[in-house]
Amino acid sequence: MKIIMGICLALNASLALALDVVATTSSMGMLAREIGGPAVKVVELVAPERDAHSLQVKPSMMRALRDADLLLAVGADLEIGWLPVAVGGAGNAKVQQGQPGYFEAAAQVSLLEAGQAADRSKGDVHPAGNPHVNLDPERMAKIAAALAERLALLDPAQAAAYRQRAAVFRAALAERLPGWRGKAAGAPGAVLYHKDASYLMHFVGVPVLGYLEPLPGIPPTAAHLQALIGKLQGKRGVIIHAPYQPASGAERVAQATGWSLASLPLEPKSPASAAAYFQLIDRWIDVLVASRQAP
Amino acid sequence: MLRPSLYVLAAAGVLSSFPAAAADVDMKALREEIAQMKAAYEQRIAALENRLLTAEKSVRKTAENSQNPVSTAEDSRRPQPGLAAGFNPQISVILDGVYYRDGRKGKGPGLLESIDGINHAHAHEGHDHGELESGFNLRETELVFSAAVSPYFDANLKMTVAAGGGVELEEAYFDTRALPAGLKLRGGKFQSGIGYLNAQHPHQWDFVDQNLAYRSLLGEHGLNDTGLRLEWVPKTGNWYSLLGLEMLQGKEQLFATAGEATPTGRADGAALADTSGGILAGTKRGPRLTTLYAKFAPDLGDKHALQFGVWGAWSKQHQEVHDHTGENPASFVHGLQGQGRLWGTDWVYKYDAAKHGGWGNVKLAAEYLRETKDLKIAFHELGDRVGQKREFIQDGFYLQGNYGFLPFWQAGLRYDVTGMTNEINGPAGRLSQMDPSRRWTFALSRDLTEFSRFRLQFSRAKLMVEGARENLNEVYLQYQHSLGSHGAHLF
Repeated sequence: MKIIMGICLALNASLALALDVVATTSSMGMLAREIGGPAVKVVELVAPERDAHSLQVKPSMMRALRDADLLLAVGADLEIGWLPVAVGGAGNAKVQQGQPGYFEAAAQVSLLEAGQAADRSKGDVHPAGNPHVNLDPERMAKIAAALAERLALLDPAQAAAYRQRAAVFRAALAERLPGWRGKAAGAPGAVLYHKDASYLMHFVGVPVLGYLEPLPGIPPTAAHLQALIGKLQGKRGVIIHAPYQPASGAERVAQATGWSLASLPLEPKSPASAAAYFQLIDRWIDVLVASRQAP
Repeated sequence: MLRPSLYVLAAAGVLSSFPAAAADVDMKALREEIAQMKAAYEQRIAALENRLLTAEKSVRKTAENSQNPVSTAEDSRRPQPGLAAGFNPQISVILDGVYYRDGRKGKGPGLLESIDGINHAHAHEGHDHGELESGFNLRETELVFSAAVSPYFDANLKMTVAAGGGVELEEAYFDTRALPAGLKLRGGKFQSGIGYLNAQHPHQWDFVDQNLAYRSLLGEHGLNDTGLRLEWVPKTGNWYSLLGLEMLQGKEQLFATAGEATPTGRADGAALADTSGGILAGTKRGPRLTTLYAKFAPDLGDKHALQFGVWGAWSKQHQEVHDHTGENPASFVHGLQGQGRLWGTDWVYKYDAAKHGGWGNVKLAAEYLRETKDLKIAFHELGDRVGQKREFIQDGFYLQGNYGFLPFWQAGLRYDVTGMTNEINGPAGRLSQMDPSRRWTFALSRDLTEFSRFRLQFSRAKLMVEGARENLNEVYLQYQHSLGSHGAHLF
């Protein structure tokens, strides 16, 4: 009986050794769950229907980071308005920038729109590049591989399992890539609110016909919308905005052009699995494709 | 009784973990099956990875050839380093200007300086804010530098440049980044962690000016001193807790000032009375000011956040010299010394509506502060009064709310009071009882972008100055612009 109890205690101990991962967004949480499997416990800081850029810091974030072994951020300045303060208030040496416990997804891949002049007369420009990498399945595959290596570094005992799971995730993605691209082929294009879906559009090769924001971070102005409507006359496409972005400008353009209007989330529902992430990409592509048949 | 039931539980756990343990043969078959599955799976993964690689290559090719508006021309090939890679140190500048008018022909700032209270009695030192004038004013321009020094330290520097050119070092400190067990050490000159607003700089305030409670009990810029701070974030389940201890020098604070000289003359130019007696003690060894604070925050989910705190501050030496002979030649010059203490409680609630531009967001904040100075007369022109006790007590509070009534628009309302208790006690009872000053403030803010803010503020105050009620209406029109690296704001 004592031996059995010992085994039970050992099992419990191995469970308690699970890595505490704090992910900022739900797609980062999805990666942590898919790659980490049962060896990680995941907490997400940003609810999927929220703007990860304009969020404000909350004490509960510091609480979550206090005991984290790994902070999984999107990076490239996306969370700059609140994450540094949350990390600062957590008193946790492990997740400080530069430590193995600090992982930025955007730092693992090349970025679109990188190297622009740091000139805010062009809007809220991020010289490091566009941070919204989560909607690019190819980049997510690379990030998954990098994350597996990072988890392996933090928890060498499970290294093989992390790499295995990353390979499974990448394979599942790879399997879907041709289908996504094939389906989206010939979609006429889309007008976006902000440059937050650039990666997906780039991935499927569907053109962005305009942005509702005159400049990144600047809300739509009447003059800009008027010019945009003029530019879109005679073309076909769809207008897409995130649920937290105002619909009024989008509605105006939709009315003037007769295009359909869609509110699409940028993040999968939390807690997300790979399947939920794939569904999100499916949803975007369905919307892009629907405008092909539209008048 | 407990042990057997534990065994049962343990046994149940083991059995449920290994349901196939009973049949060895089954196990063997299962293992083989798993091995086969694994081999097949690995083959499939390898094949898929190959496909992934070729797909990636072909995409690159087509993208390179395409005339797509979102072309890979923008796609930089090298991986980007981490956060804020662009600048080291990160530098930001905040420009702040106001157009000011009041209903007292420009006397408003002077009246606010002279509110009846226990700290009004002695001359203010330190900050030279430059008197606010009716019309256009450039407020202090704030410069902030911050960077990691090494894997072990972060450093931070904040300075202000006044319109007249005066440069002041507001903060210059290091923070540790590698201490274990939720500990953090800060050293240098910094804003104390007491209260809610104390650590915030003027550009983070929801109103143009400081509230009356802080202004009269801590000073316009709050408690800022030189020393060491130890903060600890303990493990407290779902709650966030923060405990802080600060050992500060105790220099030029309203309730912690040392090094005052025994008076040798009078402000009105006359000689000190022959009956003068006593001396002010020399400066005690620092640190002379200790603060302790605790903040707690339950996890209220995604939309709500609440934090409350309590704090105390104690000075082991406080000296002040009172010389009003300039205005009133009949008064006597005297000096007091003893200890000062302050305590307070702070409450913040935020509601995040998850809409664009802060639309629908609510923020409520309230603080109460109470200051006591336990002093004895150390010098007096009437020497027989030396040794008499004087107790100074004053309190104050503010209550403020902000609401995002439209995207990028905020309305704020504040009620602040100082001196509900406002008294000076001698050995035989109350010597002086002063009335409180109150104010209502309304502010309307518009954020054009994350980096530009405009604010219109109107306030109506009933101040007590020299025992008389003074009504004061003030209007501010303010702009704030932040340049340079993208700052993060405190909770």
